[in-house]
Amino acid sequence: MFKLALASLWNRKASAILTVLAIAISVMLLLGVERIRVQAQENFANTISGTDIIVGGRTGSTQLLLASVFHIGSLNQTLSWQSYEYLQTLPRVSWTIPMAMGDSVRGLPVVATTADLFSHFKYGNRQPLRFAEGQAFAQLDHAVMGAEAATKLGLQVGDELTVSHGAGGVSFSDHDDHPFRVQGILQATGTPVDQAIYIPLEGLGLVHGEYVHEEEHGEEHDHGDDHEHGHDHAVHHDHAKQAPPVYTLSAVLIGLEIKPLALRLQRQINTYTGEPLTAILPGFALQEFWRSLQLFDRALLAISSLVVATGLLVMLTTLLASLRERRREIAVLRSIGAGPVTIFTLLVSEALLLTIMGIAVGVGMLYGLLFGFAEPIQMSIGFQLRASLLSPTEWTIMGSVLIAAISLSLIPAWRAYRNALADGLTVKL
Amino acid sequence: MSNACVTLNQLKFSWPGAQRLQLDIPQLQIDTGERVLLRGPSGSGKSTLLSLLAGIHKSKPGQINVHGHDLGKLSQRQLDRLRANEIGYIFQQFNLLPYLTAVGNVELAVKFAPARRARLAQRGVSVRAAAQQLLQHLGLDHNSQQQLAQHLSVGQQQRVAAARALLGAPALIIADEPTSALDEAHRDNFLKLLFQECDAQQSTLLFVTHDATLAPYFSRVVELEQLNQAAESTHV
Ligand SMILES: Nc1ncnc2c1ncn2[C@@H]1O[C@H](COP(=O)(O)OP(=O)(O)OP(=O)(O)O)[C@@H](O)[C@H]1O
Ligand SMILES: [Mg+2]
Repeated sequence: MFKLALASLWNRKASAILTVLAIAISVMLLLGVERIRVQAQENFANTISGTDIIVGGRTGSTQLLLASVFHIGSLNQTLSWQSYEYLQTLPRVSWTIPMAMGDSVRGLPVVATTADLFSHFKYGNRQPLRFAEGQAFAQLDHAVMGAEAATKLGLQVGDELTVSHGAGGVSFSDHDDHPFRVQGILQATGTPVDQAIYIPLEGLGLVHGEYVHEEEHGEEHDHGDDHEHGHDHAVHHDHAKQAPPVYTLSAVLIGLEIKPLALRLQRQINTYTGEPLTAILPGFALQEFWRSLQLFDRALLAISSLVVATGLLVMLTTLLASLRERRREIAVLRSIGAGPVTIFTLLVSEALLLTIMGIAVGVGMLYGLLFGFAEPIQMSIGFQLRASLLSPTEWTIMGSVLIAAISLSLIPAWRAYRNALADGLTVKL
Repeated sequence: MSNACVTLNQLKFSWPGAQRLQLDIPQLQIDTGERVLLRGPSGSGKSTLLSLLAGIHKSKPGQINVHGHDLGKLSQRQLDRLRANEIGYIFQQFNLLPYLTAVGNVELAVKFAPARRARLAQRGVSVRAAAQQLLQHLGLDHNSQQQLAQHLSVGQQQRVAAARALLGAPALIIADEPTSALDEAHRDNFLKLLFQECDAQQSTLLFVTHDATLAPYFSRVVELEQLNQAAESTHV
């Protein structure tokens, strides 16, 4: 029966191929959307790990999250260096990573921070940052590049780069007089870290004219060896009593010794009286943000489901249209003893065949795209799309498409059945 | 009764939705091995009668016996099975599935017909060989046997249809105006070959036509209008 269905389909291959294509494209779209959704969520959740609290000035939690973790958007409100010092004194704080943002190198975000970033920041499943080349910055004119940033800018260890004020691609004020030297390049992480360029806070302060190096300032001359290296500016970690490297910070990442304390500390920071502060728990904030994206997500899924429905309707239309020209064929089959049930089965198996081929081609096209475009997508937006095996959800989707197709095919099958009974062997053309 | 292939008793049939009776036949018997010509004007119900015999439609009142089976007592499934096994059907034209080869079309005959397959097995020939042999007898050489049905001439198509009807020696061959699309020479040739093969495997032949000139070829001619009590009303 299946062989006969196949031969009959082959006889109508033009419309059959178009039908298969319509189903394939719609299935590819649906699976693609689902895959992007799931992997976006994974990527998303993987961007930060091990950080218990993120603190910023008075701002929305989503805005703080996007700016501090994803380097998207900017923070209008900053927090003062005094507040940062206060945060460090909170009980059970294991480490802090201050971040000052807002500058860029040819559109890529520059994050001014301390070398603590490289020892404490974790992403994915508690993975630390690792250096592909070089090492962490040790002096205020050093820079560390994210993997993608280094590739995009074509910079290697030892090269110089100039930071521009503002986040735009073409900047109006380049800090040409204070170039940075690439000291290290991080391994790729598949997170926004790859896109960023890291410089020491002191470097940023110098560039912005906020920080006056002790040497030039004529303050304490306690560096010893540093003087011999001429323009070598050492980075200090003991600024407690000195002038701060920068007056304001964009955000501070905090790691705690005891994780469950996070909730209490969050409340404490939010009610800090020295300055309005916003503290968020990255896990919660990510979830919340993800939930706010869900509407968009659902809309996308709904649209692609409708596209699948269209694909199946194309099949229904071609099957119904084919019934007219196939009345002869059906009468012939009846004459050699095919029962109406057989005719019914013939139509259903034809739909089954079309749909299975459509799904197979659709999956093939999806993987073709994944293999072909995962690389460029990763390069351009830092989004990691893996060509992993089909997930249970994706199998469920394909199963649903198949079931929907079979249900729809009952309509032409039933009509063929009725025709077979009514026409008998005398078909009026 | 013993050697009757087809018997009709008090058959009354009307199409669903139609007011008048299409067929009203008190009695008809066709013996095994007979070659009967059924004749009648267009619209008189010849094809209708054939589809009743083939078990495609059922007549409520009346009794039809084909090859020893009372059709009224058979289920849809059994009717389909009986048709597959014991009836070879030839249409006026468009008998073939255009996307199969000539041989493939002939082989279709046994697809739903285990009895026909069994008869071939009993004779010790494969379905393929039997199909090829029949086609050979009917004048299709090896080349045209392998051609797609849609590339055959109308005459060739009708011979392939005949071969399919004959394959596996069904009890009854029903031919509904199979020669009306053929010219005279082809028609006579077709008839000759059909008769030969029917004789060879002792199949009963019921042949429908409104062509009066064919009468001499047949052992019996049945005029449907004389047989059919509902016939008068068909004349306007
Ligand atoms: N499937 C059907 N459903 C309803 N009515 C039908 C059907 N087939 C035939 N009829 C009606 O039955 C009548 C007889 O038709 P039939 O085909 O049996 O005539 P016929 O003798 O075979 O004519 P022809 O020589 O032209 O083939 C016609 O009036 C036709 O309208
Ligand atoms: Mg007719």
